[in-house]
Amino acid sequence: MAQNYIIKVKDGKKYFLRFTVNQRLQHIILASTVIILVLTGMPLKFHGTLWASYLYEQLGGISLAPIIHRVAAVILLLLGGYHLGYLTYNFYVEEIVPLRKNGKPGLIAITKAVLRQPIIPNLKDIRDILDLLKYLFFLTDKKPLGAKYTWKEKFDYMAPFWGIVMIGSSGIVMWGQDLATKILPGEIISFALIVHSDEALLAALFLFFWHWYNVHFSTSVFPMGTVFLTGYLTEELMVEEHYEYYVEVMTKEGFENEILPPPGVSAPHAPENHEEGSPIS
Amino acid sequence: MRCKKLLKYAAGISAFVWVAVLFIFCEARAADIGNCLLCHKYPGLSRIDENGDLKLLFINESVFNNSVHANVKCEGCHPDIKKIPHENVRKVDCMLECHIIEPSSEKKFSHKDVETFLSRSVHSKIDKEGKPKKYPEDYPDCKDCHDNPLYRPLSFFKKVRPGISEIVLGRCRVCHKKDEFIFRFYNHITTRLHAIRSPKNIAEVCAKCHEDPALVARHGLSRKAVSSYAETFHGKAANYLSEGIPDCLNCHVNIGESVHQMLSHKNPESITFKDNKIKSCRMIDCHPHASAKLAKYDVHPEFDKEKSPMEYYFTAFFLILTGGTLLPLAGIMFLDLGRRLFSRKKEDKE
Repeated sequence: MAQNYIIKVKDGKKYFLRFTVNQRLQHIILASTVIILVLTGMPLKFHGTLWASYLYEQLGGISLAPIIHRVAAVILLLLGGYHLGYLTYNFYVEEIVPLRKNGKPGLIAITKAVLRQPIIPNLKDIRDILDLLKYLFFLTDKKPLGAKYTWKEKFDYMAPFWGIVMIGSSGIVMWGQDLATKILPGEIISFALIVHSDEALLAALFLFFWHWYNVHFSTSVFPMGTVFLTGYLTEELMVEEHYEYYVEVMTKEGFENEILPPPGVSAPHAPENHEEGSPIS
Repeated sequence: MRCKKLLKYAAGISAFVWVAVLFIFCEARAADIGNCLLCHKYPGLSRIDENGDLKLLFINESVFNNSVHANVKCEGCHPDIKKIPHENVRKVDCMLECHIIEPSSEKKFSHKDVETFLSRSVHSKIDKEGKPKKYPEDYPDCKDCHDNPLYRPLSFFKKVRPGISEIVLGRCRVCHKKDEFIFRFYNHITTRLHAIRSPKNIAEVCAKCHEDPALVARHGLSRKAVSSYAETFHGKAANYLSEGIPDCLNCHVNIGESVHQMLSHKNPESITFKDNKIKSCRMIDCHPHASAKLAKYDVHPEFDKEKSPMEYYFTAFFLILTGGTLLPLAGIMFLDLGRRLFSRKKEDKE
């Protein structure tokens, strides 16, 4: 079985593990199902346009495209369920089991453990957003020093939870309209259609502009970021995007003497005695 | 002498050929008793009428022969045309008795009953007291909704598919000797076993009046019926030419009645009356097991604060959410791009 090295050195270059094979497979399923859902769904939202008619025809038209849409939706919902199980299992193994060993895991301890997770938004994210704005408005030349997951990545990660819940539940209501209206009022179908359609448009625009800009089209990665396939990020990008985490990993893996300077600082500079959470003073 | 003989032979042969050609030609035009196609077969035949509108007078014979009126001769609908050039041609009156004999009653066929149905429907030009309604010219005549529809035969001998089943024709030929009769009878029956128009086409016909803002306002109609239908899944599927999706008529015509008997949604006998709507939802091909609550679904939603307030505010919320999420992110994206390009220029200079 392939081992996940945190830092891989190949031809003198360092590569940093970002996503395991399991996570990459989950992402590929997520990405492909979402693309299929957008392709088979958006022509219905924009049904009066020429491009929508052409696209829908290519996807099998009204007799086939809705079936493809529903199959993709079921796969995505199953993936969502799997991911929740995956999160719960990892949290149990990595947090609850040690807590149990050290005593009874109380609610406060578990809450603290949840908030400690690197993917959970925290105050540093707000500081990073403000620092980024300062940088973008030329008020400083220093870029925020990203943690393991930047605020952009947390946003990208959290968005599908909201999206899957909203679009998925409204889709289920519309799919099973007869059963749904046995329990819920009939007006729910009207609202489900609005939620499903408008939230899907928001999700699609968010993914195809914001997410794709950050991972594929920005000048650092153009024409395509490869981390979603290889699971590893180059040292250059680690420095640019996740400097705080980069320093932490380099130190932990015994490469403290090879740490590169933070983004925007051209002279070679190895940080000494940096404070926790702020490697460069 | 020899030359004369040859000329005689040539004249004889050519005469035979001409007679044969005429014979064939006459056979092909046998249905056109008045020889109307002598002129009307030309695609360019047209005129500008008194209103300045172009009237195309061309009749495509092969298309006409595949239409539901193929057996009706020109004179059947245009009895007033007696000479060429025609004078004072009257509009076609669909209530005329034509030469076809209706087989069950053995009487001359007429659409007269349709007029009776229509007079009691929501589309009647007269009210319950028999007085003309306001704006009678807005109410539809036959030709506002009907053209001369083409046959849409179906075969369901083994599988259901559009077209004619040759196997079935073979069975017909056992008893019926005239292929023309068999062909027409087959088309007549199977065309009526399914919708003659697609839901999209039906919606387009209704849209001619129900999407006319002036007409909608004049008659105080509550919704723009067709564009609102287009925003539902039914309408979207209809737009992609689904044949199995409900169209205007499926929900607005009482089950077992004709489209000409359509009633107002205020009439308690109408299927569109608030307590009856579920009956159309529960039709066997639609949602037979649906709860009565399904009929509460707004099948004519409009982005309008007065007409659909809940939908309006719900949609507005998502518009704000979309703008509120994407605009700041788009701003950051463009600023980021600008900063990157600036930094690169700076690096290049250094």
